Amino acid sequence: MNRTLTDRLILALVVAAAFVWMMPMLWVLTLSLKPNEELVRSTNGIIPWPRTLEHFATLLRVSLTPRWLLNSVVVAVGMTAATLLLSSLAGYAFARIDFPGRRAVFLLVMAGLMVPEQAILVPLHAMFADWELHNTYFSLIAPRLAGPMGVFLMTQFFKAVPRELEEAAELDNAGRFKIFWSVMLPLSRPALTTLGIFTFLFAWNDFLWPVVTATQPEMYTLSVGLGSLQGNFAMSEGLGFLMASAVFASAPMLLLYVVFQRYIVQGIAITGGK
Amino acid sequence: MSVQATSVVPVQAPEAGSRNGSLARQRNAVAGYAFLAPFLLFYGVFLLYPFALGLWMSLHDWEIVGDYREYIGFLNYVELWDDPYFWDALKRTLQFAAMTAPAATLLGLVLALALQKPLRIYAALRAVFFASNIFSVTVVTLVWAMVLNPDRGLIANGLRAVGLQPIAFLADKDWAMPALMVTSLWWTAGLPMALFLAGLQQIPPEVYEAARLDKASRWAVLRHITLPALARTTLLVVVLQTVMHLQVFGQPLLMTRGGPANSTRPLVQLIYETSFRDWRSGYASAVSTVLFVLMFGVALLQFRLSRQEGE
Amino acid sequence: MKMKTLLLAAMLGTSSAQAGTEITLFRFFGGCSDAYANVTDVTKAVGECGIVQVLTNKFNAENTDGITVKTQSVEWGVYYDRLSANVAGRTPPDIAVMHRSVLPNYQVRNLLLPLGKDFAAVGIDVADFVPAAREGVTANGELWALPFDLHALLWHVNADLFIQAGLVDEQGQPKLPRSPAELMQHAATMKAKTGKAYFAIPSGADPMPSWQYLSWVWQQGGNIVDAQKKEALLESKESREALRLLDALYAAGAANPQHDYAAAQQAFLAGDAAVLVNGTWGVDTYAAQAATAKSGLKNYVVRDMPSLYGREAVWSDSHTWVMPKQPKPDAAKQKAALTFLKFLNDNSLQWARTGHLPVRVSVLQSAPMKALPHRAEYTRTATIATALPPIQYQRALGDLLVNELNSTWLVQKDPDKALADSQRAAASILRRSRRR
Repeated sequence: MNRTLTDRLILALVVAAAFVWMMPMLWVLTLSLKPNEELVRSTNGIIPWPRTLEHFATLLRVSLTPRWLLNSVVVAVGMTAATLLLSSLAGYAFARIDFPGRRAVFLLVMAGLMVPEQAILVPLHAMFADWELHNTYFSLIAPRLAGPMGVFLMTQFFKAVPRELEEAAELDNAGRFKIFWSVMLPLSRPALTTLGIFTFLFAWNDFLWPVVTATQPEMYTLSVGLGSLQGNFAMSEGLGFLMASAVFASAPMLLLYVVFQRYIVQGIAITGGK
Repeated sequence: MSVQATSVVPVQAPEAGSRNGSLARQRNAVAGYAFLAPFLLFYGVFLLYPFALGLWMSLHDWEIVGDYREYIGFLNYVELWDDPYFWDALKRTLQFAAMTAPAATLLGLVLALALQKPLRIYAALRAVFFASNIFSVTVVTLVWAMVLNPDRGLIANGLRAVGLQPIAFLADKDWAMPALMVTSLWWTAGLPMALFLAGLQQIPPEVYEAARLDKASRWAVLRHITLPALARTTLLVVVLQTVMHLQVFGQPLLMTRGGPANSTRPLVQLIYETSFRDWRSGYASAVSTVLFVLMFGVALLQFRLSRQEGE
Repeated sequence: MKMKTLLLAAMLGTSSAQAGTEITLFRFFGGCSDAYANVTDVTKAVGECGIVQVLTNKFNAENTDGITVKTQSVEWGVYYDRLSANVAGRTPPDIAVMHRSVLPNYQVRNLLLPLGKDFAAVGIDVADFVPAAREGVTANGELWALPFDLHALLWHVNADLFIQAGLVDEQGQPKLPRSPAELMQHAATMKAKTGKAYFAIPSGADPMPSWQYLSWVWQQGGNIVDAQKKEALLESKESREALRLLDALYAAGAANPQHDYAAAQQAFLAGDAAVLVNGTWGVDTYAAQAATAKSGLKNYVVRDMPSLYGREAVWSDSHTWVMPKQPKPDAAKQKAALTFLKFLNDNSLQWARTGHLPVRVSVLQSAPMKALPHRAEYTRTATIATALPPIQYQRALGDLLVNELNSTWLVQKDPDKALADSQRAAASILRRSRRR
């Protein structure tokens, strides 16, 4: 068979598949723009006509959704900043400083990759309960800073940086930190970007731990709040509102995705997706 | 959960200065642990300690509410052995992973092969298939619960349009599990696709060049060059996907609550409910330990594979 | 910038809280704050959600102590998960609704405030409570909750269908069965004469069938737990028989196993089922529905649970209000919470309008109470109401029963196996309660 013809055929197939793939999201977007009177009659069609923004207005006016958005932003930004700092510090130490016990400590830290979050869920809850720290930003962020993936990434990255760049600075420890801060960190912008985006995505979509630690609606993240709406609403009532909140919750991520798509896909290739 | 490293342990760095060896070593020790301290603090407090505490809890009748704790030795594990709910959940989790992981791998491979060209239209299509991956599980389940809804769902609308009876996918014992799998596939298939695309890029172009000169057919190229070259990536993808789907939680919790009649409850949901609904945190910790062992096994396998890859 | 504003708002919030007291009310009954926004006239409210919401609105609008009750409404299916998560996380609400069956779990763990003295202080007359209700919230000589109602399972009846099927007595009233065999026969007659199902039972993931099952176990003189030995008795002959009857009904098509709560209710209201098995809480809603022109249900009557096995018994429980112990007790909040409880107790009659039985003798005997629609039709329920003995983990046992019993008609699990599995799981649940 003709090569270009086959290519075109495949392309047509994939375009059709992509359309089907997008259907659920498009349809939900449509629903979120339809007035409730229309939705009661029919949920057919993907062209929102008549259309309305009332669900989004309601969302901002009466629900806790804006508060959840704020929580999500605080948690995601906080977790990302802290992860970048902790990981680059630790990664630098593992890659660049020859301290006694390095190998053992590194192995100990990497062993943490084997512990799934579910295995420590229950004891973590007990710990935070003892400290009376549930329903705080600290409880939403801190346990996620213990994951070794970021350290691993930054170690790999720093090892690849040519040694000459800091050779001159083999002075004292104050000098070492200065070099780390003013030479190494700026150098590692690509790695930090990738790690940062990943941490942000992970934080934004985190569900299992937040659903356990955030028990008061004021401290829900968007992800948890949306989950609670799902249980509380009959599918038949406030459908437009429910769909609007789904759109509202995913819009920031979509935006981020469009802007940083290249880094995200690259990051996947590096990390294997976690 | 994933190490795709070539060499995992850092290479020994040359000694800074052999003359002032001990002084330098001391300084390095201070510096090393100072740089590590912030992370090690979190790592110790929020990973090592809870992990150990979890093992300790699994030897107790331990309640999440109130302060009832009583040492019972291995009784939780003994009960686990006799507990049909545990075995059901374990079986279901393995089934879910065993079906979803290969399906996601295959889908990712097909998509990657179809979309590997550098043209702009292909890039756009790649973006579309990957996009669903960035939504949170609550958005995904909300969307799909609606799509699958028997009264006003997208699929029900379609079925009605062609004169068929809509199906209550999530309330039907035969449909609920496949429905969850399709949802999970839609959510996660972008990931294997991205990994395969990365794998495809690593195949040296000369190989294809040679094949082109030999006038090899498209099928032959795929079978004899592309697929063998992707063997390692495929293994990696399968392992990663398996680990990921063994942890399935949000989809059944939010879409079926583990129903109908217990037919979709996975291990993580069992842990969650046993601890937070039934207050049996000791028992839940025992189940967690089993999940850990299970995933440890898969992770070891992955470690092996990535080691081999590096050699 | 945003953080700063938020911080500022939080500070302002605490300073203004000194002027008034805000307390949290944690409850199920559904969310209807939108539908009843700003409504304070209780007579306008219908159903559990409406009445409790409007009562809260009214209290917020009218109390003179500057108290604001903030409702946190949680879907019923996950209510106790959320409540225990809040208690375990050391952030308990000021007031929570709690079934009497759940009370022992919290009381034994010392998680609730004792209320006897406080009731006396705010003027809640404990002597006015029906003895059974008072005993239900009493342990160790102390009161741990405000009983709010007694609720039980009823048969909600579409009398027209019974007339159409010829299942009527001499007075032309619906004739209810008196034995399992008669029930099966009536169900067959109903199907043959009217083409409609005898029952609408919420059967998917709903506890309704297990409450019917429990009623039948008790009607045979059996039980599912031994309160003294704290052992489960799920494989008893009474238990087997009750489950057999349920399965036989589903197998005969007398009830649709696919119905969830809404669908079963819908079927009954549309006139597609003769008997809806549901609790007292539905009475005023169904009466209101039946009065509307387009309803398929025209002739709505209520019946006490008929006895099929000689004895009379029907599953029952109570809604009570508790005040969880706070990690940092706040006298002002405590006082505010008690003021609200007093208000709820004073409005016992309003709550009884839902169909529930009030627990205050003075309300029970009052004229407006007797004038409520359909009340005369289920007077025996108060006397035959039965509950599990006050053991811990009743909710876990309940969930277990729902899972296991329901799988016998949903996925055709073998009934003997379902009961054996329940027995085993119940044993490990009850193990802990034997230890303390």
